[in-house]
Amino acid sequence: MDFDLSEFQNMLLDSAKKFLEKEAKNGFRETENTEEGYSLKLWEKIAELGWMGVVFPAQYGGIDGSFLDLVLLVEEMGKRLFTGPFVSTIVSGLSILQYGQKSQKAQILPKMIKGKLILSPALIKPNPILGQTRVEERVKVQAGSYMLSGTRLFVPYAHVADMLVYGANSDREKTLFLVDAKSSNISCEPFDSIGSDKLCEVNFEDVVVPESSILGEMGNGNEITRQMNDWGALLEAAYIVGMLDQVLKMSLEHAREREQFGKKIGSFQAIQHQCANMATDIHQVKYLTYEAAWKLSENLPAKKESSMAKAWASDASRRVCLLGVKIHGGMGVSQEHDMQLYFRRAKACEVAFGDGDFHREIVAQELGC
Amino acid sequence: MDFSYSPEEEKFREEVRGFFEQEAKCASEAKKEWDSGLGYGPNCWQILQKVGERRWICPTWPKKYGGLDLSYMYRYIIMEQMHYYLNIYSTVGAGMAGPVIMRHGSEMQKNEFLLPIARGEIEFALGYTEPQAGSDLAALMIRAEDKGDHFVINGSKLFNTRVHYAQYHWLGARTKITNPKYKGISLFIVDLKTPGITVAPIWTVGGTRTNEVFYDNVEVSKEALVGEVNRGFYYILEALDYERISTVAGLERDFAEIVEYVKKTGKSRDPLIRQKIAGIAIEIETARLLALKVAWLLNKGQVPNYEAAMLKMLVSETEQNLVNTSMQIFGPYGLIQKGSHWAQFNGKFERNYRDSLEALLTRGTSEIMRNIIAVRRLGLPLH
Repeated sequence: MDFDLSEFQNMLLDSAKKFLEKEAKNGFRETENTEEGYSLKLWEKIAELGWMGVVFPAQYGGIDGSFLDLVLLVEEMGKRLFTGPFVSTIVSGLSILQYGQKSQKAQILPKMIKGKLILSPALIKPNPILGQTRVEERVKVQAGSYMLSGTRLFVPYAHVADMLVYGANSDREKTLFLVDAKSSNISCEPFDSIGSDKLCEVNFEDVVVPESSILGEMGNGNEITRQMNDWGALLEAAYIVGMLDQVLKMSLEHAREREQFGKKIGSFQAIQHQCANMATDIHQVKYLTYEAAWKLSENLPAKKESSMAKAWASDASRRVCLLGVKIHGGMGVSQEHDMQLYFRRAKACEVAFGDGDFHREIVAQELGC
Repeated sequence: MDFSYSPEEEKFREEVRGFFEQEAKCASEAKKEWDSGLGYGPNCWQILQKVGERRWICPTWPKKYGGLDLSYMYRYIIMEQMHYYLNIYSTVGAGMAGPVIMRHGSEMQKNEFLLPIARGEIEFALGYTEPQAGSDLAALMIRAEDKGDHFVINGSKLFNTRVHYAQYHWLGARTKITNPKYKGISLFIVDLKTPGITVAPIWTVGGTRTNEVFYDNVEVSKEALVGEVNRGFYYILEALDYERISTVAGLERDFAEIVEYVKKTGKSRDPLIRQKIAGIAIEIETARLLALKVAWLLNKGQVPNYEAAMLKMLVSETEQNLVNTSMQIFGPYGLIQKGSHWAQFNGKFERNYRDSLEALLTRGTSEIMRNIIAVRRLGLPLH
C-alpha cells in the first residue's frame, strides 16, 4: 500500500507545473476565441517535452511510461486549463497502439508523438430527431476500398486534425477507419460550445479510403470504441481532478481575503462547510482516478474503476464548480475572473466520453446487474 | 502509488479470515448480540477474548502489553475482518483508553489495564458527554474535588454508551474552574462498581442502549487520575483523533446483499435502481480508498490530521446513503420491522435506517468534522 508518488512522477509533475505556470498562464482565455482554439506554439513545446509519448513505447519515440504517469500529467494540465487536442490525440493513438496493424503503428505513432499529427475520434452519429443532417449515412464497398458518407458530431478539434478515427457500419458490423482529415470531401465545422473545446460537426461526402485504413480488423469497431471511451473517460476524470483542485485553491484564497461584516468570509461556517465538502469531493474523485490508472498501469482490467472515476468526476465537477462560483460571490459570475472559465470547461469535461449517468450504467453492468 | 497489499499482508488477511470462518458460530452469535443494540453479550466477550488470545485486539502494541509489535496496516486488516464478521471492529479500551494510558499513564495504570485490554477481558466506557457538553466538550461540569488523599466526584453524564457493560468509566471531569474551560479538565479511570454511581438507560431510535450516569459523592483514589491534572482535554483530543479510523467492510457486506437482492427480485432491470446501486458502489469505494489512505498514513507514523475526520464523516454519510437507497428499493416492504415474514432481510435495513443516524453524531458530528477539515486542512480562519 503506497499513496506516495514515485520519484519519476514527482519530477515529471514538477517540470510540468513549472512549464505550465510559465507558458500556459492565460492560455484558455487567449485561445478560446481563436480559430484553432489552442496554441500551436505550446503544442510544439509539449511535444518537445515528450508529453505526447508518455504512455507509448520507446520504439515509436515514447518513454514507456505508465498510465498513472499520464493521468498525473493530465491532472496537472487540468489545473491550468491547458487547451488543445491532447486527449483526443492520445486516445486515438492508444487505439492504434493496441489494435492497429504494424504498418499503421509505424506510420502514425512516431509522427503523433513528435506532435506532428493530430488525431480525433469521429464516432458519434447525430440523433435524427434532434436535427437534420445534410449527408446520408452510407458505406459503399468497392474493390479493395470503401466509400464513406455520413455526419459525425462532437468531434474534438476535427477542424485542425490530420487524421480522424471514423466509425461506420459496414454490413451491420461497426468498423473504424483511419482517415486523412484534410481530404477535400471532408468538412469540419467547430461549434461555439460552452467549454470552448472546438467540438465539430464533421461531414463525409463519398470519401474513398483503402482497405488498409481499417483500424485493426473489420467489424471490431464496437470493442475498440468501448476501449477508447474507457481511456478517454479516465483522462477526462484526471483533467477534472486538476480543475477542481484549482477551483478549491482559488476559493480558499478568496475566502481568506474577502471581508464582510468585519470578518474574513472564510471564518463563516457556511463557507467552511462548503469548502470542506469540496475538499472531500475532490479527494473522492482523485483516488478513484488514481486507482483506475494504477490498475491499467499494472495491466489489470479497470473498466469498472474507470467508469467509477468518470461518474464521480462528472457529478463532482458540477458540485465543486457551483460552490466555487458561490464562494466567489459577484466575482464568480464575472467574465473577468477565472472562476467562470473552470465552470464552463467543467461542463464540457463532464459530458465528454460519457457523463455520470452513462458511467453509472456501466458500473451497474460490471456489478452483474 | 500502489493500492494492493504486500504478499505478507495478503497472507495475514487470509489467516484472519480463516480464523473468523473457523469461529463462525461464535462470531455470528456475537454479531447478533451487538446488532441487538444491547451491548456486549456473552458471545461478544467470548469472541473478543479469542481475538485477544491471538493478540489481535491491539496488534500494534508492544508484546509485553499483549500486542505483536505489528505495523498499523496489520491492525487495519484485522479491523476489516472484525467489521465484516462482527460489526465490532475495535473496543474503546483498545482504541481510546489504551493508547492514552500507554502514552501518559502511570506505571501502575499500564500494568493494571493494558494487558487486560489487549486480551479483551475489560472494556471502557467513554465518559465525556453531558447535557450541556456535546460538541462543546470543554463545557463539561462534573466535578472532581481534590480531598488531599483522594478525589470526590459529583455530577452527571449523558449518552455514555457502554457504561452498562464496561468495567471502567473513562471519565472527563472538571478539576478546576478555568477560563478557557478546557484548561481545567482531568481524565480519570473509575471502576464502575464504585459506590455512588447510578446508571439509567436511555434508548435511541435505533434501539441501541445508551445511558445517563449519576455520580453522587463518588470517592476515587489518586491513582485513578490519568497523566497530569488539568491536562485531560489534550489527552481526550489526542484519543479522538486516533480513533476516527474506520473501515467500510460492514458497508460492503450489506451492500453486496442489496446487489444480490435487486438481481434476484428482478429490480435490477429498473434503470433508476441501476443508477442508485452504481452510485452507492462508487461512494463505498471512495470511502474504502480513504480508509486505506488513513491506515497507510498511520502505518508511516504520520498523524492523519484531517483525513481521519474526513473519513469518519464520509463513512457515516455513505452509510446513510446506503440505508436510504435500500429503503427506497424495498418500497413499503421496507417499513415492516423484524418479526413478519414480509419484512425484508428480517428488518435489518429498517433497523439500520434508524440506528445509522447515531453515527452522524457520535465521536464528533459531521459538522464538527467539516470544521476540522476547514481549519486544519484548508487553513481557513477560526470564527
